[in-house]
Amino acid sequence: MTDTNTNSPAGETKVIEAVGLSKSFGDFHALNSVDFSMPMGRIVGVIGANGAGKTTMLNAILGLTSYEGDLKVLGHNPATERDALMKDVCFIADIATLPKWMKVSEVLDYVERVHPQFDRAKAMDFLSRTNVPLDKKVRALSKGMTVQVHLAVVMSIEAKLLVLDEPTLGLDIIFRKRFYQSLLEEYFDEDRTVIITTHQVEEVEHILTDVMFIKDGNIVLEADMDDLTQQFIEVMVEKGKEDEALALKPISHGVSFGKATCVYKNIDRDTLAKLGETRRLGLADIFVATMTGDGQ
Amino acid sequence: MNIFKALVMREILDGKNGYIRVPLILAAVTIVLLLLSSIGFGNAIQFDEMHKEGIENLGDAMALAQEKEAHEMPAAITLGYWGMTALPWVALPFVIFFSLLGSLYEERRDRSILFWKSMPTADWQEVLAKLFVPIIVAPLIFLTVVIAAQLLIALLLSIVVLFQGGPFLVMWPLWFMIQTWIGWVFMYLAFALWALPMFAWVSLVSAFADRMPFLWAVLAPAILIAVEAIFFETARVGTWIGKHLGGWTEHAFGSTGRHIDGPRDVLTMLTGEAQMNAYSYSLTSLHFWIGIVIAGGFIYAAIEMRKRAI
Repeated sequence: MTDTNTNSPAGETKVIEAVGLSKSFGDFHALNSVDFSMPMGRIVGVIGANGAGKTTMLNAILGLTSYEGDLKVLGHNPATERDALMKDVCFIADIATLPKWMKVSEVLDYVERVHPQFDRAKAMDFLSRTNVPLDKKVRALSKGMTVQVHLAVVMSIEAKLLVLDEPTLGLDIIFRKRFYQSLLEEYFDEDRTVIITTHQVEEVEHILTDVMFIKDGNIVLEADMDDLTQQFIEVMVEKGKEDEALALKPISHGVSFGKATCVYKNIDRDTLAKLGETRRLGLADIFVATMTGDGQ
Repeated sequence: MNIFKALVMREILDGKNGYIRVPLILAAVTIVLLLLSSIGFGNAIQFDEMHKEGIENLGDAMALAQEKEAHEMPAAITLGYWGMTALPWVALPFVIFFSLLGSLYEERRDRSILFWKSMPTADWQEVLAKLFVPIIVAPLIFLTVVIAAQLLIALLLSIVVLFQGGPFLVMWPLWFMIQTWIGWVFMYLAFALWALPMFAWVSLVSAFADRMPFLWAVLAPAILIAVEAIFFETARVGTWIGKHLGGWTEHAFGSTGRHIDGPRDVLTMLTGEAQMNAYSYSLTSLHFWIGIVIAGGFIYAAIEMRKRAI
């Protein structure tokens, strides 16, 4: 992310560059002239409430919807060059989009015929670790198995950009853990960028390198994960130090286990340690603090 | 081109019930009925007047016919085979219509369009494949099944005739049969090109209807016809549609004024002259070309709808 990430080397290849990206449905502005760019070799979490504009943004990137403004994805204009773009971009836009009338093996046959970057052996390897029967129709598979097939296909395509919109919805926790692990270990490398949206933020935060918060069609925060988690500190304020704590202007405060808790942004940890026990905030808490408090 | 081939194969797989199972089942039914009736032929003929001429069975009938009308026999038998294999053709218009109607609708309804769009295939390729398979591939599959059925029928009947001591080679007018098969392709193509604006309309409905594509496809033209009849008291829309769905043949063939005498003339006309008339009339008909232009507009609109659909 360009604005906040100071670590990125100059001239880094940009996977996505958007300037003044807008999309309206009648009077409703799903995207409000947003600017952003994403470099190669990142795992970006796009986080926002339902209806915040996440899916609209992803759809624009994937060439699934029209938009106003300037958008380049891997050098292509997604609105007019979706077919060329899809040679290097992969996505799961929603669960259960695999054609139900096809057998699993037929899905693989089809992808093998149309996608030059698909490695069937790799897909078979992924599937061999599951209980998915190849000769069954997608219709006959459980929700979890359907997603496993889709993920096996996507992970076996040599794409430069992978977009996952709620990829593990409806899957059990063991599979979700395994999926993110193999995404990180077997798929992700410095020549690829992955964009993930999910409601289960806790499960992805350890693999994200960057985050983007979206609210009401605006990007309210773009940050490097490491920088971000260092910025937000929560303090369990010791009794008697409440006034002192409030004086430091926490972005949010509440009470838990009978103690006051305050969340601070960009305040020196040593200073805060004098007030009480400190801890880093999880991404979900940072999101809530940013959206509801004065953190933005 | 490989992408298009993959899309065509996918469409055939998707519609294999209509494209393959339906003609196979109907051809099988035809052959079973024929077998049953040829087994019963010897008895049935007892009640027929022809009994007087000493005809006991199919073998006798063929022998007699060959003796009296040898010149007409190959054409008559070829036409006979076409008559016997008429059943699958009844289903073809329904298969084409419903395949087109579902082609761009079902993928939106079951959301699989999001999967298709995640692949490097262009929307125009998708739409053209979804037109090409019902309009061109399906009829060719039907024709293949009918050819196989005709050959099987010829085999079965020649065995029957052989056992009954008749002229079994007469049952194999192969050259005539091949001519009709090729002739059918050209004839169908003329019908399909005339009907292209209707096909393209159904495809466009399939691309834009959110619900009830059948009503859109059928009711919209029906309402147009009704409105025209009520307010203008004319029937141009209806006439136009009728002309494109086969009415054009009246003008193409109506004026030949040729005397037809026997099966051979019918066959000669169907495999040669009729096509000449069909194409010379069509290619010089303004109606025909307007239809093609309208079809092009509908197809363009369907592609634009497919681009925007998610």
